[in-house]
Amino acid sequence: MIDVRDLSRSFGRTVALDHVSFRVEPGEIVALLGPNGAGKTTASRIIAGILAPSEGDVLVDGISVRADPHSVRQRCGMVTDQPSLYERMTLRAYLGFFCHLYDVAAAAKRTEELAELLGLSDRLDVRLGAFSRGMKQKVAIARGLVHDPPVLLLDEPATALDPETARSLRSFIVSLRARHRAILLCTHDLDEAQRIADRVVVLYRGRVAREGLTGVLRADSHPRFVVSFSGDAAAARDALTRAGVKAEATTAENGYAALRFDADEPGTTNPAVLRALLDGGLRVITLVREERSLEDAYFAIVAEAREPETGKANG
Amino acid sequence: MGKAALIAWREIRWEIFGDRGAIIRTGFFALLPILFVLSGRGTGPGGPNEISMLVLALQSTLIPALSGVALIASTFTQEKENGTLVPLLASPVRDLDIVVGKLLGMVGPVMVICTGSLTVYYVLASALFGAARVREALPPQILFALLVVAFLYLITAGSWVLIIAAIVRTTRAGQQIAGLMIGISAAIFAVLGVGAARIADGWALVGLGVAFVIADVVALEVARRVWQRGEVIGRL
Repeated sequence: MIDVRDLSRSFGRTVALDHVSFRVEPGEIVALLGPNGAGKTTASRIIAGILAPSEGDVLVDGISVRADPHSVRQRCGMVTDQPSLYERMTLRAYLGFFCHLYDVAAAAKRTEELAELLGLSDRLDVRLGAFSRGMKQKVAIARGLVHDPPVLLLDEPATALDPETARSLRSFIVSLRARHRAILLCTHDLDEAQRIADRVVVLYRGRVAREGLTGVLRADSHPRFVVSFSGDAAAARDALTRAGVKAEATTAENGYAALRFDADEPGTTNPAVLRALLDGGLRVITLVREERSLEDAYFAIVAEAREPETGKANG
Repeated sequence: MGKAALIAWREIRWEIFGDRGAIIRTGFFALLPILFVLSGRGTGPGGPNEISMLVLALQSTLIPALSGVALIASTFTQEKENGTLVPLLASPVRDLDIVVGKLLGMVGPVMVICTGSLTVYYVLASALFGAARVREALPPQILFALLVVAFLYLITAGSWVLIIAAIVRTTRAGQQIAGLMIGISAAIFAVLGVGAARIADGWALVGLGVAFVIADVVALEVARRVWQRGEVIGRL
């Protein structure tokens, strides 16, 4: 488990993290999102025990990163966006080297297990410099797993991977969640985060702008609905306007004409919409809630976090 | 220190023996003693005098050591440039193990080259100037002292170069500063070495060695502090 407590880190005058707190439970994937410079990488490096916090603390499996960073490093597996491999080494030698650094018993067996797990068994004695970018990233993942850590820190792990490899990587990460690992995923890939993250922490300028379950963040505070129907779209919109509902034309997935409208109180608005359309002689096909993508939610959160600055600049 | 040895072994096995360029560059040092011996032939009847033979032996030992300092500078800056330092720092290895491991990984092979170069010089000089004269000019204690001095020089200069490598961002900058340092340190070393060799039948060299050991301890401690993870990562 990762417990980030009121964490701050400065580099000279630059504040990279400013009193950040969040948790990642075992068997949970938490996506750490944010624009460049938000502090994602700094946070993951502090959690990994390779960068000291300026203030606050992080507990990894109950061990303080301030008090015992060595033990924290023993419990964390880290995968960075760049594979950063010793390219003159063979895969077998490379993984064997890291097995020894992490005091893994039966290093040779573990190396072969990991190579098989990531589909690299036939490349064990090939120099890493000859590997493709995707294969190198797989090796970086294997390196992070040599000691079977309870905590995994993945910093843009799917960077530069082809869609097929990225997909298999996602499945692999999800399988690790099933094995009760606490996984922190720092990413810019909102689609990836939406697919696999249980919870999301959005950082903006070193602060937590929003934290919550992925589904909750995606659910807008102003729910939107789409009603599809057969008939004249202009007449339908007029009918809704008369009923006091402002709507905009869209196209439904089923190919019918459709209108999109906000409904802060769906229990009142939706029956009114249906009544207006049916009274107008239109045949209603579907009425569905429009789900906001995580991308939309993210941009809304970042825009909200940016607002005070914009206000100051304008003021 | 087991992990330092592991890091050192990786450097030797994969970064030195895995680098054809490094092997070719190393081959160059085998030529140096031949050139020194050949240059010494014209110094007078029967070849060079004892002091000249000692100076040539010193050069055969120390020129490879000077190159080793540049090697130590580049090994760290390359790791920074390639990002390979991050996984190493993320592993449960102490800062001192990383510094000592990388230093030994470079110092070990360079010392082998220094020894080889001195051996080649000794054998060639014996063949050309006469074994008895060479044995008299270069008794075992002098040969041993030369190697010890080369080792201490490597560790000292290498440790200080590590500090530079922590500060600069690129391999090129690291090598340029290391080159400057090699030049300055070689000049200081030559003056101190020659001066010490002439005092008390060369026993002052022992004092010089002690001074180097003290400098090593200071440099290693400074290198370890400068290489603290937070500082290194902050600069990556």
